[in-house]
Amino acid sequence: MVSMTGLLWRSCRKGNHMWSTSGPRGVRRTAAALLAISALALAGCAGQGGTNAGGSDRKLTVWIMEGTNPDARPFFDELSTAFRTQTGATLDVQFVPWASAHDKFVTSIAGGTTPDVAEVGTTWTGEFGAAGALVDLAPRVQQAGLSDGLVKGLTEAGTVGTALYGMPWYAGVRSIVYRTDVFTEAGVTPPTTWDELVTAGQKIKAARPDLIPFPIAGDNEYGVYPFVWGAGGQIATQNGGAWTSALDSPQARQGIEFYADLALKHGLSTPAAATWKETDLRDAFTKGQAAMIISGSWTPKSILESAPELQGKVGAFPIPGPSGGLAGSFLGGSHLSIFEGSKNQDLAWQLVQLMSTGDFAAKWGAESSFFPGTTALLQQAAQSSDPLVAPFAKQMVEAGRSVPVTPLYGQVQGKKTIPAMMSAILNGTPVDQATSTAATEMNKIFAGGA
Amino acid sequence: MRASSLGKGLGVAGLLLFTLFPVYLMVVTAFNGRANAGSRSLWPEDWTFRNFTFVVGEGGFGRYLTNSLLVALGTVLAGALLALLAAVAVARFRFRFRTSVLVMILIIQMVPVEALVIPLFIQARSLGVLDSLLGLVVVYLAFSLPFAIWTLRGFVAAVPVELEEAAYLDGASWGRMFWSVLLPLVAPGLVATSVFSFITAWNEFVFALTFMADQDNYTVAVGLRRFFGQYGTDWGALMAASTLITIPVMVFFVIAQKRLTDGLVAGAVKG
Amino acid sequence: MTGVVTTLRERTRPGRGAATAGPRPGRPRRSASRTARPWLLLAPALIVMGGLLLYPLLRVVLISLQDFGLRQLVSGRTSWVGFDNYAELLGDADLWRTVLPNTVVFAVVAVALTVVVGTLVALLLARLRPLTRGIVTTAIMVAWAVPAVTGTYVWIFLFTPGDGLAVQALDALGLTDAATANPFASRISFYGVATLNVVHHGFPFVALTVLAGLLTVPQEVTEAAIVDGAGAWRRFWSVTFPMLRPVFAVVTVLSTIWDFKVFTQIYLMPGGDGVNRGVLNLGTWSYVESFAQNRYGLGAAIAVLLTVLLLIITVGYLRLLFKEDEL
Repeated sequence: MVSMTGLLWRSCRKGNHMWSTSGPRGVRRTAAALLAISALALAGCAGQGGTNAGGSDRKLTVWIMEGTNPDARPFFDELSTAFRTQTGATLDVQFVPWASAHDKFVTSIAGGTTPDVAEVGTTWTGEFGAAGALVDLAPRVQQAGLSDGLVKGLTEAGTVGTALYGMPWYAGVRSIVYRTDVFTEAGVTPPTTWDELVTAGQKIKAARPDLIPFPIAGDNEYGVYPFVWGAGGQIATQNGGAWTSALDSPQARQGIEFYADLALKHGLSTPAAATWKETDLRDAFTKGQAAMIISGSWTPKSILESAPELQGKVGAFPIPGPSGGLAGSFLGGSHLSIFEGSKNQDLAWQLVQLMSTGDFAAKWGAESSFFPGTTALLQQAAQSSDPLVAPFAKQMVEAGRSVPVTPLYGQVQGKKTIPAMMSAILNGTPVDQATSTAATEMNKIFAGGA
Repeated sequence: MRASSLGKGLGVAGLLLFTLFPVYLMVVTAFNGRANAGSRSLWPEDWTFRNFTFVVGEGGFGRYLTNSLLVALGTVLAGALLALLAAVAVARFRFRFRTSVLVMILIIQMVPVEALVIPLFIQARSLGVLDSLLGLVVVYLAFSLPFAIWTLRGFVAAVPVELEEAAYLDGASWGRMFWSVLLPLVAPGLVATSVFSFITAWNEFVFALTFMADQDNYTVAVGLRRFFGQYGTDWGALMAASTLITIPVMVFFVIAQKRLTDGLVAGAVKG
Repeated sequence: MTGVVTTLRERTRPGRGAATAGPRPGRPRRSASRTARPWLLLAPALIVMGGLLLYPLLRVVLISLQDFGLRQLVSGRTSWVGFDNYAELLGDADLWRTVLPNTVVFAVVAVALTVVVGTLVALLLARLRPLTRGIVTTAIMVAWAVPAVTGTYVWIFLFTPGDGLAVQALDALGLTDAATANPFASRISFYGVATLNVVHHGFPFVALTVLAGLLTVPQEVTEAAIVDGAGAWRRFWSVTFPMLRPVFAVVTVLSTIWDFKVFTQIYLMPGGDGVNRGVLNLGTWSYVESFAQNRYGLGAAIAVLLTVLLLIITVGYLRLLFKEDEL
């Protein structure tokens, strides 16, 4: 491969040379080279395509979502070494950004270019499994005696009928991350009701006009759910196996309206946030531009890592309910799944086991600040007194919720129904109209005709 | 006259600003060590190569550059060969359906390739060339061919037939004539079409995005998206990578410029 | 792109008839191999174009008549649904309210701007001294050479809400409030940025083509017009423009085709990949339906609609060429 590349490089230089050569002879000579090389170039490319498409027998391609664990590279170096010692096989770990991951999975499933093993977001597992792309892990899990030790919410999300399409790997939940120093300055304490949230935001706005008190990102569906649930609404309801969107219910609308009004009426956000993703929220917080953001249990650590000057100034509190209590927050996470297209499913299962149980699972949880997918490890983590862990643990244990458990919901997410709704509202569409549009769209997908 | 030359000066200045400013900003940001920290200056306080070393090293961009280079090179060479042969056929021979072939080439030049992503994806899937550089080469070859044939046809037709006849009179075979008379004379046309094919292949985004699953097979246009990462956009890296992508195309343009503009303008000025 | 110029040059050049010199048999007709030779020469190119352009074109029409999802793709079974996809497409209010206006209005505005800017630049270039012209031409080449992908990122960078340089500059001019403006949120400003991007990338082709045409206008004609006392504006409309009418027609049609199907520049902008439904155009919509939703049938129907629109424009283009060129 190296020599082939070298050859092509040289031929490229020769090709360039052609431009400066004048006169028929030089041109002819280059033309001869050109013809010969074209064959080589194609052969070179073909060869390369071949090695990647087929994959050698003892190599697994693994897709991991990017950014979950700031120390992911050393972690996977270590994992690769351990796996090679155990099985003699090598790993090709590739990091996929969350934002484009769903589209990439869908396209690769359609194209038959899936990896062997991948981290799959819990809301997608059912969808890909139902499409026939994932291996049913239930028999293997049972055989390995792991059935009872897995976190229930995560196995539920990965189950379609009797098939388990994803091995629980880790779980997380979103709460509100805030700047303790700003709170002190503005004289507020973590809010425990929605009214207090508004008041806190307004006080921060008055005390620190240079900061965005609480940015509302348009392209962040997990920021919307807590307010739908908090107001007593539902995303969708199930009736005899059929799902119906409930986004246009009065409760859901009330919650969404409150959430949007934080930006539109109370001015706690910035219009720029209408196109923000969850990552932009974190970006704004890291740059010291935001006072509170809805953010995952896994983020404080990476925030502090990229902005050491915030050390000691970051805290977290659970998302409150309208008048006390906690608002539900999406209990999300990831499964490890094996693709049907994999030629090495047994080997892949060995890797999944290695990653989701024992030392590597604990290490991943510790490094990524996620909660592990096995009950034993989760209970350990929930006892934590760390102020950047405890609020999240509380939210997860007391108010962890799931989105509708149906493969069709993955399609709803793929269609970006909620972000589209939210960005429309933030851009001025009335809540009633936007929620109706979103509910219609969701129902269309639920109806199967999509 | 004074006013008009002032107007011209202003026009030139405005034009240079509009054409070059985005490029300038790209390069300056690429060298800005604080671009990530939100620095948006026209002149970086902190000149550095760090963005470039990050992009090529940890960012894996070296791999993407190699891939793109292979794909572009394959497209250029195969395209030049196929287009030249076809151009000779339509410019030098009179045969049945010749006009139909020409019209067809014209029409398919207008086909929006974006509309073909779906069928080509399915075709590539069944041929097993998804996720391979070869698949992209073949697709780009097809895209650049109609234009290349159409262009080269003009160049071939412009070569006086008398030259060919002289070669035949000297006892040359058709192949020999092609090699020693025609090829050297249409070389400027080949340059023009090669530049076009190179750019088609190097810049293409939709198919590279759709066909490639394994990131080891990414081309530069798709690889760039990686810097829209999980922690907000890494503008320094993004611009450094963009600069790396843009340079070859620019060098290509500038080197070929004389040939290109000669080709464009020669007949007009000297003819 | 050069090809158009070449053909034009051939056509507009009086006298020497390289272009009008149709193919002449080099030597007396000899054998069957002589008849087969052009086809042998054409074969590789025809096979590639047939297999990768014509056949898929047919295929996309067939797919648009099917319910084509992941299941069909994997199993290879087809399920014909007639014109259901088209019915759904044409019955979708978003098509008429959002997607089609986005596509058409954007194309019209971008093409008009591209052609006007390109022509003005060409007129300017024609008046410059060779050295200056060389420098400016190089600058234009640089703008042309910037790949669509990287160019798009630079424009996004410029217009990033809050701290983008262009947003800051507009703020300084009092035209907008940097703290609250988000150029990517509203349809108009989103496509405004896209238009800047596309014009910046597209005007060099127009400028250089028109320049090549301008240089073919005989000096005497212009001089005669000057003697007649015609001003620059009159001179352009009564002398230059009529002589270059085919050049303008071609650059306009080609720009229209390019701007109609613009994909990359839209898809990469914030919200352009389907999140912001208000900014979808035919190209991005077709892609999102297909590759994010696995609804290849509907995606194909959208692609067919796009192709048909372009075909109508192409017919205009062909008419234009056939009138002047005997091929």
